[in-house]
Amino acid sequence: MTDKVKKAPAEMNDIPAIQTSNLTRLFGSLVAVDGINLEIKKGELYAFLGPNGAGKTTTISMLCCLLKPTSGTAAVMGYDINREPYKIKQIIGVSPQETTLSEHLNSMENLALVGHLHSIDSEKIRNWSKLMLETMGLTDRAKDQVRKLSGGMKRRLSIAMALIHNPQIIFLDEPTLGLDPQARRAVWDYIARLKGNKTILLTTHYMEEADYLADRIGIIDEGRIAALGTSSELKTDIIEKHTMVVYAWNLTQKVIMELRNRYEEVEISNGTMTISDKKLDFKDIINRLHTAGTVVRSAHIKEPTLEDVFLKITGKELRV
Amino acid sequence: MRFWQLFTRSLKETYRDPLALGFLLAFPLIFMLVFGAAFGSDTTPSYDIGIIDNDHTEVSQGFIDQAISQISIFEVTSFDDTDSAREELKLGEISAYVVIPGGFSTQVSQIMQGMEGDIVLNITYDESEPMISEQIISSVNAATRQFAQIEIPVTINTDPINIGVDITQMDFIATGIIVFGLLIMIPTSGRIMLRDKESRFLYRMLTTPAKPWEFIAGYSLSMVLLATIQIFFFILLGWLFGMDIIGSLWLAFALFLLTAICSIGIGMVVASLSKSENQGESLSWLFSMPLAILSGVWFSTEFMPSYMRTFAGIFPFSHAVEASRAVITRGVGMEAISGDFLFLVSWAAVVFIIGTILFSRTMRS
Ligand SMILES: Nc1ncnc2c1ncn2[C@@H]1O[C@H](COP(=O)(O)OP(=O)(O)OP(=O)(O)O)[C@@H](O)[C@H]1O
Ligand SMILES: [Mg+2]
Repeated sequence: MTDKVKKAPAEMNDIPAIQTSNLTRLFGSLVAVDGINLEIKKGELYAFLGPNGAGKTTTISMLCCLLKPTSGTAAVMGYDINREPYKIKQIIGVSPQETTLSEHLNSMENLALVGHLHSIDSEKIRNWSKLMLETMGLTDRAKDQVRKLSGGMKRRLSIAMALIHNPQIIFLDEPTLGLDPQARRAVWDYIARLKGNKTILLTTHYMEEADYLADRIGIIDEGRIAALGTSSELKTDIIEKHTMVVYAWNLTQKVIMELRNRYEEVEISNGTMTISDKKLDFKDIINRLHTAGTVVRSAHIKEPTLEDVFLKITGKELRV
Repeated sequence: MRFWQLFTRSLKETYRDPLALGFLLAFPLIFMLVFGAAFGSDTTPSYDIGIIDNDHTEVSQGFIDQAISQISIFEVTSFDDTDSAREELKLGEISAYVVIPGGFSTQVSQIMQGMEGDIVLNITYDESEPMISEQIISSVNAATRQFAQIEIPVTINTDPINIGVDITQMDFIATGIIVFGLLIMIPTSGRIMLRDKESRFLYRMLTTPAKPWEFIAGYSLSMVLLATIQIFFFILLGWLFGMDIIGSLWLAFALFLLTAICSIGIGMVVASLSKSENQGESLSWLFSMPLAILSGVWFSTEFMPSYMRTFAGIFPFSHAVEASRAVITRGVGMEAISGDFLFLVSWAAVVFIIGTILFSRTMRS
């Protein structure tokens, strides 16, 4: 008898929470998403990092069953996005890139609407809404129609609406866009607490956000995943060169020439010398400077950032 | 009960936006007020009508006495021949004259016996006065139809006064205005859905498990509620301005509600197809205004080319005008309008099915 109970495909065996195979979407002749293959584990927080127009939102829209893929497919908790969209819609929570709320409803009512549409009972909705509003710092504005809230407050409510029904899979498209540092911190902390329990796919333009939150980061550019890994994997794998920054007085032409002979790049500006190469010998450099009579004020090895990784891969600066 | 949540949400969005609500409720009512003030006054117009009886039968005489002469806005004079009547018309002494041709009684009795028949009346009028002739013709038309539908022996023998047709201008106009008021729900009923599309709130809702029909039901139910309130005010205003409801008030109400539901259904179709509020509204105004005219809400459709009338007949509004006019001014019951009634019901059902299909098609592109 027991095997007649139909379980969600994902519970039956350990398949990924989100899996895409050659997921592709065209708008006319523009290839917005170009054969993406993703595999996101249950409980993982996966961040998409990519420049404007890279295809992040388009990918999320396909996974939420709002857009049809042109070719390829995807499964969310084992449910196919083309065949079982309503199964998927029951288990996902979405915070879209644009803040969209029902403007003449208050915060409580907006949250309740999403809750009810997911068939959560009113008692639970009330309790969860209170908690959610508290987390988002909106408790004292809970009864105001949301059109009267500030942009950042709306944004916080918009995130809360993605979470109110306690979904298994959460899509957050640039969740902290437009939030002040304090609110951003609060949202990060909340998301960090969800880690492990929920599968989260997040897009962001903030390096710190991806760095702080993500288990894995996918750098997406022109509809393709250009690099994938943990933050430190990306930094060490992609940025092969190390950089040393030295503040010094009395830099002589001779010692500069000497360093240029040994290391690939040596640049000077305003008494700051940056040296980069695949291999840097910190001690050797200091010794050479010392011998040449240079006074070293400070010297350190610069850690590569995601920004560097991003720049290296996409050739584009992130906005911010 | 997701549609219920979507419904209460649409309702809140509507009544918490006083400007929008004011527009939705007040706009059609203002039409009614203007028309009521213009045509509902006590100074009922009176037209001098000439009549020439070429049939010379008891039936034709009865028709003159009990139908034509009973029309309150007519002052009837009999003429022996068309020449003298024409002379009077030229002099402006009469506004029109009606000729009852020979064979009139035969046709009438054929119809009474359930056979085919074609009642012909010739009306001559001054064409420089289109509004007046319009009114005269529709009044004569209404009176004739009533005359032919009621069994002559019964009325003659028992209660001749019963035949009394007392069509005031307001009786005639009010039903048209009400149907017009309900027809212009086409542009307004898609408003919330289109706003949700523009703000992309709809797309957020589309990531919940709510089904297409639940969205359509949610969006339209709030409008149905609004329509019910409107119809109540329409009938009240019409009555205040002198519209008599001879038939069943409930039947009239049901007809109007069905008309509103058809409009809302069309609104849903348009909203499903449009991308923005602007696009949707201009599209639906563009098509509801001509449709209003063709459906006979302002003017009688008697003079329109038949292809136009056929075209208007595809839509529910000409049926609504006719059926509600029959109920209100002539007091007919369900049996007489069941055809139109069924037409409206089926139309409403079909348009909502189409709306739901179109909505689900466009919701995932
Ligand atoms: N509805 C649409 N019609 C036509 N083109 C579209 C549509 N939506 C997106 N695109 C195009 O698809 C590409 C990917 O857009 P997408 O919104 O997925 O980018 P993104 O990575 O989310 O960018 P951003 O960081 O700016 O949000 C862009 O070139 C965009 O112009
Ligand atoms: Mg985007």
